Amino acid sequence: MEKRLIKKNTLTGIAGKMADEFKVWAPVKQEENVIFSPLEKNEQPFFAYLNSKNAPKQIFFPHTETLMKYTSTPKGMVFAAEENKADKTVLFGVRPCDAHSFALLDMLFDQEKYKDQYYINKRNNTTVITLACVEPPYATCFCTSVDGEPVDDKGADILITDIGDNYLVEFVTPKGEKLANYFGETKADAAAETKKKEIAEKAKQAIKSKIPAHEIKPILDVNFENPIWATIHGKCLACGTCTWMCPTCHCFDISDEVKGNDGVRIRSWDSCMFPLFTKETSGHNPRTSQKERWRQRVMHKFKYYVDNFNAIACVGCGRCVMSCPVNLDIRKVVEDIAKIK
Amino acid sequence: MQNPYIPYPVEVIKIITEVDTKDIKTFRFKFVNPEDEAKFSYIPGQFGELSIYGKGESPIGIASSPTQKGYVEFTVQKAGVVTSALHEMEEGTLMGLRGPLGNSWPIEYLEGKNIVIVGGGFAFTTLRSLINYMIFEDNRKRFGKITIIYGARNPGLLIYKDELEAWQKRDDLNVNITVDKGDATWKGREGFVPAVCKEVAPSAENAVTVICGPPVMIRFTLPVFFDLGFSKENIITSLEMRMKCGIGKCGRCNVGSKYVCKDGPVFSLAELDKLTKEY
Ligand SMILES: Cc1cc2nc3c(=O)[nH]c(=O)nc-3n(C[C@H](O)[C@H](O)[C@H](O)COP(=O)(O)OP(=O)(O)OC[C@H]3O[C@@H](n4cnc5c(N)ncnc54)[C@H](O)[C@@H]3O)c2cc1C
Ligand code: SF4
Ligand code: SF4
Ligand code: FES
Repeated sequence: MEKRLIKKNTLTGIAGKMADEFKVWAPVKQEENVIFSPLEKNEQPFFAYLNSKNAPKQIFFPHTETLMKYTSTPKGMVFAAEENKADKTVLFGVRPCDAHSFALLDMLFDQEKYKDQYYINKRNNTTVITLACVEPPYATCFCTSVDGEPVDDKGADILITDIGDNYLVEFVTPKGEKLANYFGETKADAAAETKKKEIAEKAKQAIKSKIPAHEIKPILDVNFENPIWATIHGKCLACGTCTWMCPTCHCFDISDEVKGNDGVRIRSWDSCMFPLFTKETSGHNPRTSQKERWRQRVMHKFKYYVDNFNAIACVGCGRCVMSCPVNLDIRKVVEDIAKIK
Repeated sequence: MQNPYIPYPVEVIKIITEVDTKDIKTFRFKFVNPEDEAKFSYIPGQFGELSIYGKGESPIGIASSPTQKGYVEFTVQKAGVVTSALHEMEEGTLMGLRGPLGNSWPIEYLEGKNIVIVGGGFAFTTLRSLINYMIFEDNRKRFGKITIIYGARNPGLLIYKDELEAWQKRDDLNVNITVDKGDATWKGREGFVPAVCKEVAPSAENAVTVICGPPVMIRFTLPVFFDLGFSKENIITSLEMRMKCGIGKCGRCNVGSKYVCKDGPVFSLAELDKLTKEY
């Protein structure tokens, strides 16, 4: 597909112009953090960022969202309307690991048998523009161990790479190509492509944190009962931060809220790290302690998702590593599992 | 395309109190839009999410058989928020139903075989669906001998009493009802389900057993069937896990890499052996 070159100082302007036609989610500064937020009129995106504090999954899978509305009648509460809005959206400037997470979430929410219309609708109405990491942002980044790369178009409709003087803009999908008119007229030459390849290779080499993520799959297959599981969770507070921050975690709860005669059914993020997550009304809980919950988290990412979708459910963003209040590090856990004989 | 989170509107058309303690009731629903009944085309062993707006949803096994047209039934024990609200309902109330969800009893596999149904307590619901399906007119000849062993703690806790009586009168069913302890008027069998299974001793020859009941009952019943020569492929049961979405998305009900809501709830012991014991 087409490739173009744009001047480096034009990115902010392009995002602003798109905001006339689309809802544009872009990285913005909020106190000391950078987060993804819909651009307000004349608001400046902040593209010189490392990565966003929160995973941008909230754009397709919001923290809380209304699924439907209902209303009371003399014969009981009845369904009133489905709530499934999706504005024409551009997600401008996500990192490749986070774009990769969308490809992983698609596998779950957009399955053959059951389609999650809420996720799919937002996903279909959004164009994802990835801003490659020419210099890996953090020492905790390990995307190359989990099928990612710092310069990579997985999950992206458009990939933008800083190649020094210019940005190289690659249209990855037909959806991305529809926005081509925003990116000037300058076709990329062979030199630009060569330059990008060099930069991509250099960035890849710069990722120093490596974990045996693929190697542990056969070990996990046969070690559900291994004593190692009793050695991981000791410090864990069951706060759920790791799963909240994670771009691939997708567990949710469904609940009802009533105000007067009307009500809504909503879904909100939930976490396998919470003790009540699997607790049944009878009091029975198949995962009785944090040990089983940590095992579930590791198994889900590195075994169950692989069994079901042939993909690891971790993109190596390192958010869980950086955010855990007691410094539990999933990379260390994976390394320790790899040592099981 | 049908949004799998949105329930079909249904009306409660009949409520039957099943037990003396009054905390188990069967609810019969009619689809408000007749065309939804065809969309809710189910197989015994599947479940639905009973949806009470303002309270929430509960996964409940389908207790009626698809051969019973015009309605669908669920037998529910009063437990927490949703099931208690359901127990408060009156005939004529409108609510919601999602589904059918999950796999089902393996009907095709059961065809041509002798079937042994073992149930304990109110977990008999989807077994009742299966029985009514198998004994329905022409369906009956697709299955071999049918043996039913069903038990409850006491006579007042047996569910579907009228049907049990009718089944006992049929000469193409071997029905064994038992209670742990009888009362003054009880003339039937006394004894725990595993002991009765041993007495009845159904042959394993070309036979499959389908078992549903409280965990202790299952624990003591399985060895009896192993002794009788039933292979793990031919012992089939249904699992329960806490659920929300019922469609394999919310991440709540997995046992190993299988989602009980989507890949289950029905598994053979041979299949369960391959899963982790986290349920
Ligand atoms: C496949 C399947 C079939 C079932 N069939 C029947 C049946 O035929 N009859 C019957 O009485 N009960 C059945 N149950 C159990 C029934 O789902 C729970 O008793 C019920 O959900 C409790 O809900 P509550 O709102 O009253 O309790 P609360 O404690 O208020 O529960 C809150 C929510 O948690 C979830 N939940 C809690 N416990 C369970 C549980 N054990 N299983 C699944 N979800 C749970 C539900 O979404 C529920 O709405 C079945 C469960 C499963 C998984
Ligand atoms: S962030 Fe750390 S402490 Fe909190 S639940 Fe995750 S592992 Fe446990
Ligand atoms: S598990 Fe941790 S490193 Fe992996 S994607 Fe989730 S937050 Fe990022
Ligand atoms: S109930 Fe949501 S995944 Fe099974």
